[in-house]
Amino acid sequence: MSGSSEPEGRPGLRVEEIAEAEQVVGGLAPEEAALGEKERAGARGRKALTTAAWTAPGAVWLVFFLLAPVLMIVLVSFWTRTFSGFEAVWTLDNYQFLFDSNVYWDQLWSSFWHSLVIVAASLVFGFPVAYFLAISVSSLRYQIALFIVALAPFWTSYLIRAVAWIPMMGRQGALNTALIEVGLIDQPLDILLFSDFAVTVAMLQLYILFMVTPIFFMLAQIDRSSLEAARDLGANAFKTFREVILPQSMPGIVIGSIFVFILTMGEFATVRIIGGGTVSSVGTIVQTQVASVQFPQAAASAVFLVLAMIVGVFVLLRFSNLREEL
Amino acid sequence: MTVSRRTSRDETQTVREGAATAAPSQAPAGTGLELKDLTKRFGEDVIACDGIDLHIAHGEYVVLLGPSGCGKTTTLRMIGGHEEPTSGDIVLDGQSLLGLTPDKRPTTTVFQHFALFPHRTVRENVEFGPKMHGVTKAERRDKAMNALEMVGLTTMADRKPSALSGGQQQRVALARVLVMEPKALLLDEPLGDLDRLLRLRMRVELRALQRQLGLMFIHVTHDQEEALSVGDRIVVMHEGRIEQVADPYTISNRPENVQVAAFMGDNNIFEGTVSSQEGDRFVMDGGDATLSARASEGEVAVGKPAAVVVRAAAVQVDEDPVGGPNQLLGDIEVVEYLGDLVKLHLGAGGRRLTAKVAGDRYPEFQGREGSSVRLSWKEEDVRLLRA
Repeated sequence: MSGSSEPEGRPGLRVEEIAEAEQVVGGLAPEEAALGEKERAGARGRKALTTAAWTAPGAVWLVFFLLAPVLMIVLVSFWTRTFSGFEAVWTLDNYQFLFDSNVYWDQLWSSFWHSLVIVAASLVFGFPVAYFLAISVSSLRYQIALFIVALAPFWTSYLIRAVAWIPMMGRQGALNTALIEVGLIDQPLDILLFSDFAVTVAMLQLYILFMVTPIFFMLAQIDRSSLEAARDLGANAFKTFREVILPQSMPGIVIGSIFVFILTMGEFATVRIIGGGTVSSVGTIVQTQVASVQFPQAAASAVFLVLAMIVGVFVLLRFSNLREEL
Repeated sequence: MTVSRRTSRDETQTVREGAATAAPSQAPAGTGLELKDLTKRFGEDVIACDGIDLHIAHGEYVVLLGPSGCGKTTTLRMIGGHEEPTSGDIVLDGQSLLGLTPDKRPTTTVFQHFALFPHRTVRENVEFGPKMHGVTKAERRDKAMNALEMVGLTTMADRKPSALSGGQQQRVALARVLVMEPKALLLDEPLGDLDRLLRLRMRVELRALQRQLGLMFIHVTHDQEEALSVGDRIVVMHEGRIEQVADPYTISNRPENVQVAAFMGDNNIFEGTVSSQEGDRFVMDGGDATLSARASEGEVAVGKPAAVVVRAAAVQVDEDPVGGPNQLLGDIEVVEYLGDLVKLHLGAGGRRLTAKVAGDRYPEFQGREGSSVRLSWKEEDVRLLRA
């Protein structure tokens, strides 16, 4: 399948390349634009070929590891479940089941909403961190050192980090014990583990660096003298932030939001570990279905999960013209 | 720039003009910018500015000139409010600016690297200041377009800064501060990022613009030629102190001390001991060279060390010997042809000297490295330097 779709992918690339090449030719100086039609077409063809050669490895990779699996999922979602897996018999039963299932839609919506909350929270908590690293810390050495410290949690597997929340947040966990010792509470707080809140906090901790990093890199690129110029031209500290810093960090915010949104939307491991059995997500639904060998059903559930992600990404992309601003 | 405001400034400018060109520093007390014993320390040991006293009149083009680290940029940043002085005062039209953040000061700065806002178009960059001051959309658009017209960039209004050349970005930076109608325009190495030809052109434009607007310009540079070209007055700074304040001609022809003479370049500095003094004339023994010059009573004393300067352009090469002091033999080390003039780098008894002669004499010196020439100068071209 992938073998047949690759040649299809290439002409697509080439068409786009030619369009770009034409734009370049359109902007050339008169003497170059005056080249014969033939030479131009020849140069264009060669350029397109070079570009295609450069893109080929990436294209192959994408086809094998992204397009093919996604296509496979879509196909399987239209196939029939058998006792031990599935067979290639077309059916709409899997979707019929989904459409009849309020649980699924509630879950999809709540996962969507949940992800947005985590995106917002990681922005609220992550932006100041990125700002501090990129703007407040003036020495590049300290910037890098502190950034590596911030990355430290990523040196361990994220599963371990998720599991580490249990001794921290459990009924007998460090936090509850500390709060009781201090006398702030009498009874351990149950909300700290195996709850929606716990899952949200854990995911925030697990994914916030995906927000901090792109924002940090955007902020680090801002010319500091342009901040002085803003002050000089009459902007107070707040207006300087709103008019100069925030717009320039927008691409980072959007990219970070996309990262966090996609990663949390499909999450199931953290939900399982931190949520115990009490919290579910689209991810856990799919996982349960896979575990009970309902592959076509799981595929259909996954298809809508992916569609929801695409919608979310499109909404996020509206906040910044990444092509132009990066 | 609104019409009404410009007119009012023009009026004050015409009143001022006569006095300003003759003796800019003697403007009526209380107006203009006054730096009083301005000092800035960074930490314990570093003194960036050490007791700067300076008065700058409205409509005056002043250049702060000096090598890097002399405190010129720090001085400018303190005027603009980007740095707080350790002690001293900055007074503009009778009001102290101390403690005011940059957005509250009637000064604006053109930064060395332009510091444009990359996410805004040229027009939005220029509109930024008025926008921050709550000017309505239509009005700030007019102002912006007026300012862009002044710098000849109206056709670029809708481009992003990244689509402009260095010179154009420089103009946007200028338009962006001009639109603010500041009382003082501060320029921090404004031409430093431009290539040479553009720099030569922009400095003429800066000068013309300043004349046209009658604004106070304070321009920081380390480029001597640029300073001479644009300034009404030049403030030569060295190690946090002002060495000399004077018009370009005086700075160039009568440097007051060794630092100024050395920094301005193309000056031959002789150090020695005063061997005799008669009336307002004295003779200095500088080892292999004997120089005579004029000095008023008490400026020199026989037996005491002294330093004098002879400009490279005042050194005559291979001309009729006059006899007496003020001449010596030198060996040509390098002949440097610079078009309009020939610069001769000479060695004379371990001393390195420079002479500039007219460019049409190049054939005379071409290839004469190593040969000996007679150097002489007139007594009136020898200037006594303050210790």
